[in-house]
Amino acid sequence: MATESSEGEEEGKITSGNHVLIVEDDLRELGKKAAWSVSSCKPGNGVGSLRDDNLETYWQSDGAQPHLVNIQFQKKVKLQLVVLYVDFKLDESYTPSKISIRSGDGFHNLKEIKTMELIKPSGWVYVSLSGNDPRETFVNTFMLQIAVLSNHLNGRDTHVRQIKLYGPRPNPIPHQPFHFTSREFITYSCVR
Amino acid sequence: MEAILTDCVQNSLHHFMYRNAIFICERLCAEFPSETNMQLLAGCYLHDNQSYAAYHILKGMQMAQSRYLFALSCFQMDLLKEAEAALCPANEPGAEIPNGAAGHYLLGLIYRYTDRRKSAVHHFKQALSVDPLMWAAYEELCVLGAAEEATAVFGDAAALCIQKQYLSHGSASQSLNMPNEDRSAVSARNFGPGPDDASPRQLKHMQGNNLRDIPGNYHGAAAVQSSNGGSSNISFYNTPSPMVSQLSGVAPPPLYRNVQPNVPNPSIPIADSSPRSTVNSTIQAPRRKFVDEGKLRKISGRLFSDSGPRRSTRLSGDGGANANVSATMAVGNGTSNSSKYFGGSKLSSMAFRAVTVRKGQSWTNENIDEGIRNENFDDSRSNSTLTTSSSSPSGDTRSLEQEGAVIPINADIMNGSRSISGASEIMDLLRTLGEGYRLSCMYRCQEALDVYLKLPQKHYNTGWVLSQVGKAYFELVDYLEADWAFSLARQASPYSLEGMDMYSTVLYHLKEDMKLSYLAQELISTDRLAPESWCAMGNCYSLQKDHETALRNFQRSVQLNPRFAYAHTLCGHEYVALEDFDNGIKSYQSALRVDTRHYNSWYGLGMIYLRQEKYEFSEHHFRMAFQINPYSSVIMCYLGIALHVLKRNDEALVIMEKAILADKKNPLPMYQKANILVSLEKFDEALEVLEELKEYIPRESSVFALMGTIYKRHNMHEKAMLHFGLALDLKPPATDVAAIKSAIEKLHVPDELEEEM
Repeated sequence: MATESSEGEEEGKITSGNHVLIVEDDLRELGKKAAWSVSSCKPGNGVGSLRDDNLETYWQSDGAQPHLVNIQFQKKVKLQLVVLYVDFKLDESYTPSKISIRSGDGFHNLKEIKTMELIKPSGWVYVSLSGNDPRETFVNTFMLQIAVLSNHLNGRDTHVRQIKLYGPRPNPIPHQPFHFTSREFITYSCVR
Repeated sequence: MEAILTDCVQNSLHHFMYRNAIFICERLCAEFPSETNMQLLAGCYLHDNQSYAAYHILKGMQMAQSRYLFALSCFQMDLLKEAEAALCPANEPGAEIPNGAAGHYLLGLIYRYTDRRKSAVHHFKQALSVDPLMWAAYEELCVLGAAEEATAVFGDAAALCIQKQYLSHGSASQSLNMPNEDRSAVSARNFGPGPDDASPRQLKHMQGNNLRDIPGNYHGAAAVQSSNGGSSNISFYNTPSPMVSQLSGVAPPPLYRNVQPNVPNPSIPIADSSPRSTVNSTIQAPRRKFVDEGKLRKISGRLFSDSGPRRSTRLSGDGGANANVSATMAVGNGTSNSSKYFGGSKLSSMAFRAVTVRKGQSWTNENIDEGIRNENFDDSRSNSTLTTSSSSPSGDTRSLEQEGAVIPINADIMNGSRSISGASEIMDLLRTLGEGYRLSCMYRCQEALDVYLKLPQKHYNTGWVLSQVGKAYFELVDYLEADWAFSLARQASPYSLEGMDMYSTVLYHLKEDMKLSYLAQELISTDRLAPESWCAMGNCYSLQKDHETALRNFQRSVQLNPRFAYAHTLCGHEYVALEDFDNGIKSYQSALRVDTRHYNSWYGLGMIYLRQEKYEFSEHHFRMAFQINPYSSVIMCYLGIALHVLKRNDEALVIMEKAILADKKNPLPMYQKANILVSLEKFDEALEVLEELKEYIPRESSVFALMGTIYKRHNMHEKAMLHFGLALDLKPPATDVAAIKSAIEKLHVPDELEEEM
């Protein structure tokens, strides 16, 4: 859709969203391995709507701000990208405007790693979790929390239609220090 | 009436009109309920792929043929226990397996799928010794890894065996005729006095002519007919191989019983000889003659008395056409009568063929009807004499053309000596094919390829052989050659699906997504219900990393044929890609239940345990795979990796050396060797290996990365920097980029153990 998408250093501003979800090939969706929960919801618009691959259904919160989406893994996972689908044209005052992403081992030690300000977004919004340092490409964590701090037009409750989480693919060959890149290595690296 | 109905059923079966056959047969069974008729009905249902119907009809029947058909229906319905009980009753340990070679084969399959490998092997070997042309049994032996060398199995003894079978037609065809005859006898009797009247007359008649010959010829005719019937059977059969093998199965047992008396006999009365000629004639002889007999009897006793001289005329080789296939009953003397006979025999031959389709071996139990036999005998003898003439070969050929292999044999039979060369030619062919197949099942692929090259061009350029060649290249990890061989196979037989699942895997390895999707589409449009087509489709999706859809396709393939091991293995691979290890383990184990020698599944299990860090299990499974396929450098490499993580580094290095030698084109063992040396802190040797590897494969990021880490350990920072830079240039995935960059950062920091390494 629109063109600009500017991001600052700590606080990013996103003015638009993509219609189509395009992710690099070396990333894979990790949401299936996690336990998802929300701080509050309206009956019929629960957490399931966040993960049903249906952009018509949405999660609607029903309580005080900030509204929280908690994602907990059984093992530490490397996360690189969070993608949300929100739509100002459909949801107006329910559209989130300020988002904070926190990570940690559990509810007791979550720390904020990213904040984002959305300005009338409409579509898929990409939030990268990488830092500037190459060593910080991934966030290796047990738990991620996405907090909706405020909405457009000062709305109380929020609508989020879909959330996806991405991390790197593991090495197809276990116990290798590095991935293989050349065709010869890859051809001989597995039996099918 | 019974005879007419039976003929009609046979006719419909011959013309593949199954619904008609079923309908008429049901009327037949309602009117004349007898076990033979029920067998016929069950046979019709089996043709129409309704094995459940055959199951219910045949339940409890004890005739050999019924037991065989019942076992077959049970097998198709996956009721293996009942199938086994039918073929091999628990309370009769000494009972003979019905239908000889075919019965042994079916029993072998049952044992195989119920995990009794030794018994399975025993029965397959029995099947082969009874009938050396039962390729399916040899194939199963190869898959089970218990096949002897092809020269032993398809050797001279086997050739002699085949010759005998086709020479002594007498017994075989007789026996075949028996069932028909039995039925016709029954129906004839139902006619009333006719047949009975005929019989005594026939008997006398026989006696008139060389009584001694009668039994001989009779047997000969039977044998001939059975063998012919057999061939026809093959053409009739749409059902799985056990049926086909029936053909061969049919001939031998009765044959052997009758061989002795037969061989000398036929030659005596018939001028030119060849009892073989009886083959053709016999097929046609049975039933129909029966019906005609009835009418003829009415016409005259004179007919029978005439038949004496006529027979002798015929016997002297009047050159009648083989009534079998063609109506050309150009018999010299006594034409009118003979033509009636032959007309009859022609019809009966068709009926016969249809009957043989039933793989009926009930003759074994029911060779009782003397009268009928005699009649048949008469006809068959006359037929045989006719067949001695030139037209008979054509007749023979026609009846035989349904079975390629038999044709040359039968043609040869015409000429006693030629049968020997025909049989040995077939044995040569089977020997080469068998040896090639056996070697490729033992994964001695290079040798297998050499053996296949010995085949004559016309055989080499067939779908099956080219598929096997492709499979051999695939196992040698030479995917380009495999692609070429398989594409030739597609050209040679575009409708054949066997081996196409492996072709799709070859294209997957070569990452040829266009070709692969084209192949998958073509296969699905050829046959939506074949497991191979869905395997190809699944591979297509897997190549595009859509593992969930790929998994669904492979599961469809499994549903279509749960005994197709490769589909289970592919499901396992997809589960692993989706990181669902429990289901992956289950899938691989299902594959191994079907085929214990499927080394891909052992490998898959080894990989899962490696990922789950259950290293002992992993090593065990890789070792099993290695034992099955000791020539695969990839398996050796992984066995080495498993040993390395178990800290058995010396053994690991030994295996790696073997792997390097096994396949010069495989770079991985060298890389792994370097890895192991690094962990043993033998950095210089490791660097040597990596330098060599670098020459061979100059654009592999991991090689440079590993070299960089080694230089870093030696504090040779510039070299390390250079190599890390080169590694990064080759665009590794993000994790590696992160790892390498952080390694670079740490270059200027005192060396500590890094987690990534």
